[in-house]
Amino acid sequence: MDVALSRTGAWILRTFFFLVVLFLYAPIVILLIFSFNDSAVPTFPLSGFTFHWYHEFVDNAELRGALETSAIIAALSSLGAVVLGILASIALTRRRFRGKAAVSALLLSPLVIPYLVFGISLLLLFHQLGVPRSLLTVVIGHIVISLPYTILVLVPRLDQIDVSLEEAAFDLGASRLRTFRSITLPLILPAVVSAFLIAFTTSFDEYAVASFVVGSRITFPIYLYSAVRFPNQLPQVIAVAVVVLVVSLTVVIAAEVGRRVAERRLGTE
Amino acid sequence: MSIAARASPAATRRRRLRLDLTTPMLLGLPLGWLAVFFLAPIAIVAAYSFDVYSLDPGPHGFTLTAWHDFLHSSIYLRLFWKSVKMSLIVSTIIVVLAYPVAYYLALSGTKRKYVLLLLLIAPFLTSYLLRVLAWKVILGDHGVINSFLFWTGIRSPDHPISQLLYSRFAVMLVLGYIWLPFVALPIFVSLESLDRRLLEAASDLGASRLQAFRKVTLPLSLPGVFAAFLFVFIPTLGEFVTPSLVGGTSGYMYGNQIVDLFGTGFPDWETGSVLAIFLLGVVTVLTVVFARFLQPRQVAAD
Repeated sequence: MDVALSRTGAWILRTFFFLVVLFLYAPIVILLIFSFNDSAVPTFPLSGFTFHWYHEFVDNAELRGALETSAIIAALSSLGAVVLGILASIALTRRRFRGKAAVSALLLSPLVIPYLVFGISLLLLFHQLGVPRSLLTVVIGHIVISLPYTILVLVPRLDQIDVSLEEAAFDLGASRLRTFRSITLPLILPAVVSAFLIAFTTSFDEYAVASFVVGSRITFPIYLYSAVRFPNQLPQVIAVAVVVLVVSLTVVIAAEVGRRVAERRLGTE
Repeated sequence: MSIAARASPAATRRRRLRLDLTTPMLLGLPLGWLAVFFLAPIAIVAAYSFDVYSLDPGPHGFTLTAWHDFLHSSIYLRLFWKSVKMSLIVSTIIVVLAYPVAYYLALSGTKRKYVLLLLLIAPFLTSYLLRVLAWKVILGDHGVINSFLFWTGIRSPDHPISQLLYSRFAVMLVLGYIWLPFVALPIFVSLESLDRRLLEAASDLGASRLQAFRKVTLPLSLPGVFAAFLFVFIPTLGEFVTPSLVGGTSGYMYGNQIVDLFGTGFPDWETGSVLAIFLLGVVTVLTVVFARFLQPRQVAAD
């Protein structure tokens, strides 16, 4: 006898689980269907199959510009966040220092700040310093909000690695940097890649902070936000939505599967 | 465990390594970055709320006027309370929905546990705005649901169900939709770490499954439930994107008010800063009080 679930209970829960999954995916599927619908408004009945909206979005220079801006910002900010995250994570896992609990709380605190409040804070900072808003101001903000995610991915991985490998390298005369480069970095590489991807997707999708500090080159979420308010662009936006959803789902699943495979190969101990 | 680790020879060597003074080098950059671009900006908002800094030119002194006005205004506090209620309802409903889902994944003994977990969480990792957009397409007066009803003749096109979009209901539905996958995660983690032998013991001692659930499983999974609850409650409390897209006037939340005070129309940075700091204060208190449920591993574990 199973102690956690009766057979009927398991059946009910399984049904419930798949109903929830259905609820989660139905809106995405509906977007997918209407992205191929030959009508300017997403309404029933469906009026025919078309690639028109996909063509239109490929031809939309403003949209492509926004995607490009977001990609640049995401690449720069995730690079920054990963570098800061590696430094912080090594300190948290390999060093002993006073006030560690407070330092780790501070490093993770951007997780719980309302992004609205943080966006406004950055706006006022740049206003006070007289710094004009630009691509760079968004990158600065995105590094702050991605940093805790990179730490949350890197710290558990660093904890798994056998410290004696690093100590051996150090005892054999390698410098700290050399030890890091030759021993630690290769071992945490899967986690570094997954931290980078998490930071990248966080930045690429971030609207709240960006909306306060963005310059004249708008990001993709900001473009989306304004497009959502004007229904004449809706079918096109739906087409973009589908592309972005499919790409991000693929990246996320591939990254997770890749990380598991790589870490299994590298071994956990 | 920590005592055993401290006594091992590896730990002794580790301590020797720590003598190397690179800790400031490691921490300098991340902490410096957060000091300049995270803590200092918040301090500036606080300064604006006390009118030490201001949009108006001329000399300024410290005043509590804006705080006084805020604490005596019925508008802002009532709006805050409304947002608290909406967030509470959303968080409660989706925690209740997510619990059985997490329970199924963690305890039903299904072999595809992690595949199903990924299936559940994947939507959360896709674009936030696009998921809001999907609901806008679905709920509108001429949206998917209404046009489906017209098409099938259930309702006439002159009388769409117009409460679907631009309402408090729409905001809560979309927020619930967005956060549901995420909420299942910490609950799953706490249920998965549950020692099954405890349930076997309960069963051997004559407890029914329901009794075992009430006396063993549920209490032991409560930290995960609290963590899940806070992970939704905190961000939804300061939400402004979803209500501005699907909320209309009745779904207007505290966050929208803050944005409007910093908006281009009639900016009032002093009042806006008070509202922002107040929100931050509430969130900080909640986080500190419930910090023991918000251990990093709750989030990081997968």
